[in-house]
Amino acid sequence: MTPQTIGVACCLCICLLSGIGCSTHAKRISLSRSLFYEGQLEACRDRLEKLHKSHRHDRDVTNLDLAVVDLLEGRCKDAESRLKDVRDRFDHLEQESISEKTISMWTDDTVLSYAGEDYEKILIRVYLALANLMHEGIDAESYTLQIQDKHDAVMQRLWGEKPADEKSNKFCGLPIGFYLRGMLREQTHVDYDDALRSYTQVAQLLPTCDPIRWDIERVTQGVHSQPGCGVIYVFAMVGRGPCKTESVEQPTSDALLIADRIVSAVGPYKLPPTIAPIKVPKVVVPDSDIDSVQVAVDRQPIGSTVSIADIDQLALETSQAARNQLIARAVARRVIKKATVATVKQQTSSNSLTSLGFDAAGVAWEALEKADTRCWGLLPRNIQVLRIEAPAGTHSISIAPEHFGQTGRPTAHEQVTVVDGRNTYIIGWFPDTFTAPRILTSTH
Amino acid sequence: MSTLAAGCRGYQYGHIVKPGAQDLVGSHEAGSEVFHPLVDESVAKLLSRQEEQCHVGPDGNPQKKTICFVCVENKMSEDIGDFKDQLYEQIDSKILESDVFRPISRRMVDAALHETRLRPDSLMVPDNMQLFTSVLQRQGAPIDYLLYAKLTSGTTQRNTSKQRDYLLTLELTNVHSGEYSKESAEIRKGYHKTALGGIWNYNPLK
Repeated sequence: MTPQTIGVACCLCICLLSGIGCSTHAKRISLSRSLFYEGQLEACRDRLEKLHKSHRHDRDVTNLDLAVVDLLEGRCKDAESRLKDVRDRFDHLEQESISEKTISMWTDDTVLSYAGEDYEKILIRVYLALANLMHEGIDAESYTLQIQDKHDAVMQRLWGEKPADEKSNKFCGLPIGFYLRGMLREQTHVDYDDALRSYTQVAQLLPTCDPIRWDIERVTQGVHSQPGCGVIYVFAMVGRGPCKTESVEQPTSDALLIADRIVSAVGPYKLPPTIAPIKVPKVVVPDSDIDSVQVAVDRQPIGSTVSIADIDQLALETSQAARNQLIARAVARRVIKKATVATVKQQTSSNSLTSLGFDAAGVAWEALEKADTRCWGLLPRNIQVLRIEAPAGTHSISIAPEHFGQTGRPTAHEQVTVVDGRNTYIIGWFPDTFTAPRILTSTH
Repeated sequence: MSTLAAGCRGYQYGHIVKPGAQDLVGSHEAGSEVFHPLVDESVAKLLSRQEEQCHVGPDGNPQKKTICFVCVENKMSEDIGDFKDQLYEQIDSKILESDVFRPISRRMVDAALHETRLRPDSLMVPDNMQLFTSVLQRQGAPIDYLLYAKLTSGTTQRNTSKQRDYLLTLELTNVHSGEYSKESAEIRKGYHKTALGGIWNYNPLK
């Protein structure tokens, strides 16, 4: 082996090491998440902004996390602007880049531009609608149409023409987009037929949800609100949402089959009969100690919120659907790396010492591989809603988390102004029963 | 390498569709290619029928009837999304341009519905109609007619192909006498899983 060859190999290793980096997104974001859930929003923002500047490949997901912080702090316009940026970028990244995919076969998936998970793409539009409703509400209806479009596209891509079936244990969708559209169409006092259509779609996705049946009855026979009354919508972001961690997996036979196809397409490689465990991202959802949120108006208990977006379930289902493909890519990458090391060894007249060096470099190369754990880290476990009809005027609203039917602390209080015949919106964050909730009220 | 890295994802482009150019034909649902001709035809039929029945005033000009265009109702199996408000505006604008009707502002209609909390589909109940017209009268917009536009569809399935018939009906009711008339326009559209589906199912040589 000549000194030049060794030099080239060293340079290659250095390039790869610098490209791969030393930690996963999950590790980098953990402090920000802790700060967020402890209620230290300023510190969380500082940390996220640092990450945003220092890690180019994490920029979109940190932007999403920053949008949540903005929204919580009442900077709805800033949140909307960030969300729009990421929405457009994810749309652009839906086109695959062959060059990025090829490079990722010699490094890992973290070098790919993050195009967002399906549930994140739908939720970006949901958050856009909510952020817009909190400050002006002009574009909210457009966002609800975008939610439906994206929802339909995701359903179509994942499950084809087949309708979502609850018994087949398939991805059942996010009803919140349809609910928001129904809510806004009902507020026009004219388009009850649109509202009925939207609520019916929600009912198909949530067949056991009583409040949706009441909504359908109201838009079929009744009116938005009685004269002199308006409506308060309480949206509760409950629990801690899904996040990705690195997990070590044994390839399944399905994944090996897909990997074999990838490997055959890339070059003259063969899949070995056994493959050591590989690192892949895994969606995990922390347990929640909140079932729902109890709302009282002027100290009179009104009712509890019901879930219209089980983000945890959707995240787990969509990640499960993509799992084989992910593992297959990791397996194919492993094979290509092994084959590259073997080829270099073969082409250089190496003695046993340099051969050992190559093997060690190969092991290090594989070991430095990281799972792509990028994700929108500050989502709730689910989004719940309660509709309250109240006389026009100012009311005191109390919101408290519930667990097994028991109302717990801390309780949040807010003054809300209800406008005759109009909707007023409240968003509350309830990550757990220990963290103080944050409440945001619409300003228009 | 840098060229490859930069050039693999495309951009999105847009262009202005020239007046008179054909509309895109929706592959899964109705779009401009269905709704625009439906509006043109149904409104033209309505106006020509009403022109025949139009009274001529003492000045020799036709007397315009005040009309309240209540809403567009979607009873189709498809969601029309952002088309609904556009259909309202298209129909409203065509009526405004005619010599037969003098429509009242949509904002006034919305305000009256908001104030009375009446559902658009409940205005035919005599008491409701009286309340609604009295509110409009108070706003300075007494009305002679109520107009509803209704979209309906009918679907015929044949294996993987389907035909959907789209019907736009304009229903006009005289609030004084209760007399009503309606005009409609229909467009039939075929949806197929293959490019040859249209030829196979609608063979012009048959």
